[in-house]
Amino acid sequence: MKRSLVKVYLLLALLCILPTSASAMHIGEGLLPVGWSISWAVVCLPFIVTGFLSIKKRIGATPKAKILLAMCGAFAFVLSALKIPSVTGSCSHPTGVGLGAILFGPTATSVLGLIVLVFQALLLAHGGITTLGANTFSMAIAGPIMSWVVFKLLKKAKAPVGICVFFAAALGDLFTYVVTSVQLTMVYGGFGKFISVFAVTQIPLAIAEGLLTVVIFNVLTKYSKTELHDLAVM
Amino acid sequence: MGTDRYAYQSRLRRLDPIAKLTLSFAAVVICLSCGGIWTGICTLIIMGALTTLWGGVRPRVFLRFLRFPMAFLMIGCITIMVNRHPADTPVLFGLPIGGSVWGVTSGSLTHGFGIICKSMGVIASVYFLTLNTPMTDLTFALRRLHVPQLLIELMDLIYRFIFVLSDTASNIRTAQHSRLGYVGFRRSITSLGTLASMVFLRAWSKGDQVYSALESRGYTGILLTLPEEYKKGTACYLAALAVVLIQLLCCFLEVHFI
Repeated sequence: MKRSLVKVYLLLALLCILPTSASAMHIGEGLLPVGWSISWAVVCLPFIVTGFLSIKKRIGATPKAKILLAMCGAFAFVLSALKIPSVTGSCSHPTGVGLGAILFGPTATSVLGLIVLVFQALLLAHGGITTLGANTFSMAIAGPIMSWVVFKLLKKAKAPVGICVFFAAALGDLFTYVVTSVQLTMVYGGFGKFISVFAVTQIPLAIAEGLLTVVIFNVLTKYSKTELHDLAVM
Repeated sequence: MGTDRYAYQSRLRRLDPIAKLTLSFAAVVICLSCGGIWTGICTLIIMGALTTLWGGVRPRVFLRFLRFPMAFLMIGCITIMVNRHPADTPVLFGLPIGGSVWGVTSGSLTHGFGIICKSMGVIASVYFLTLNTPMTDLTFALRRLHVPQLLIELMDLIYRFIFVLSDTASNIRTAQHSRLGYVGFRRSITSLGTLASMVFLRAWSKGDQVYSALESRGYTGILLTLPEEYKKGTACYLAALAVVLIQLLCCFLEVHFI
C-alpha cells in the first residue's frame, strides 16, 4: 500500500516537471565543463564542414538555393518557437529534427541547425553558446541522421509515406534526447536518471511531433509537389 | 525579438562589437574553468552590474531574462542532485524505495548548487553581449574574425527572414484560435500542422520573390553592405581585464580559504 503511494507521489512530481520541459532537449548554458564543451565542438566540426561544402556546391549550381536555404533555416527557427500540444495536456516546442532531415537531407540540416541553435542561444536563451557543440551534435547531427536513415529504410521497404514520416520524426526526436542524456551522463553519471526523466517528458512529445510532421507532410505533398521535387524528397 | 529588442536601445550599442565579444568571452571562459560557487556569483554580479549600469538595461529586464533559463537549470540540477544511496546513508531529504534511499546528501547539494552558480555566471556573461549588441553588429564582428562568408550570409538572411515568418505564423495562429482551432488534441495537431506547412509554403514563395528582387538589382551571389562606424573599444578591453582579474582573485580566495 505504502509503496504504491510513493509511486503515485513520484508520478505526480514528474507530472509537475512536464510543463517546463520546453527546452529540455537543449543542454543549458554553463552545464558542461570546458573540456567537454570543446570536445563536442570538435566532434561536430567534420559534420559541419561536410554540410557546408555540400551547401556550397548546391549554391554554386543554383544561386537561388542560398535564399531558399535561408528561408528554410528561418522556418526551422519559427517552427521551434511554436507551442506543440502534447498527449498529456502539457505544451512544448517541436524540434523540427525529422522534418529538416527529410526535406533538406542530413548534411544541409547540420549547418542550418547550427545557425538556428546560435540564434536560439543568443535571442531566446534556449541552450547556450558554451554548450553549442553538444547541442549541435544531438539536435543537428545525430537526430537528423537517425531520421534520415529511418525515412530512407522505411521508404525502401515500401511502407506508406505517412508511416515513413511518422517514424522518422518520432525516432529522430527520441534519438536526440537519448544522445542528450548520454552527453549529460558522461559528465555527471547516472544514465538511468536522465533517461527516465527525459522518457516521461519526451515520449509523448515525440509522438505528438511525429503526428504533426505527418500532417505537415500531407499538406505539402498536396499543395507543393514541385517544391518537394526541387528538394529531391519525392 | 528576445534580447535583440533591448540591444538596440543599449548605451553600448555603438561600441566596437569585437571588444564586447572579448569581454563576454573572457568572462565565460574564466567562470567556466574556475567553476566555484563564489566565482559564479561574483561573475553574475559583475556582469549584471556592467549590463545594467554601463549598458543602461533596466534591472527588471535583466532579472526577467535571467529567469528564462532557470527552469531547465533546475530540472537538470535536481536530476544531478538526487541519487540512490544505501539505506543507511545520512540524507538531507529523500524517499526510501526498495532496499535503498533516493535523496539529496549535503555533498550533492553543494555540488548542484555550484553548478547552478557557475551556470548563472556564464548566462549573465552571455547576456552582457546579447543585451548590448544587436545581431547585425555581431555578424559583422564575426565577418571581421574571418568566419566563412557563406555562413555569415546565411546567418544574416535567416535573421531577417525569422521576423517575416514569425509574423506570418502568429497571424495564422490568431486566425485559427478565433475559429476554435486549438480545442482538443486532435484538432490542435491538425491546426498546427496546417499552420506549419502554410508557413513553409509562404517561406518558399517569399524566397522566390526575394531572389527575383535581388536578381533584378544585379545580384551576383554576394550580398555586400557598408561596414558601420563604431566607437573604439578601449574601455571595454580594460573592463575585460578588470573582470578577469576579479574572477581570478575570487577563484584563488575560494580555493585557498573556503
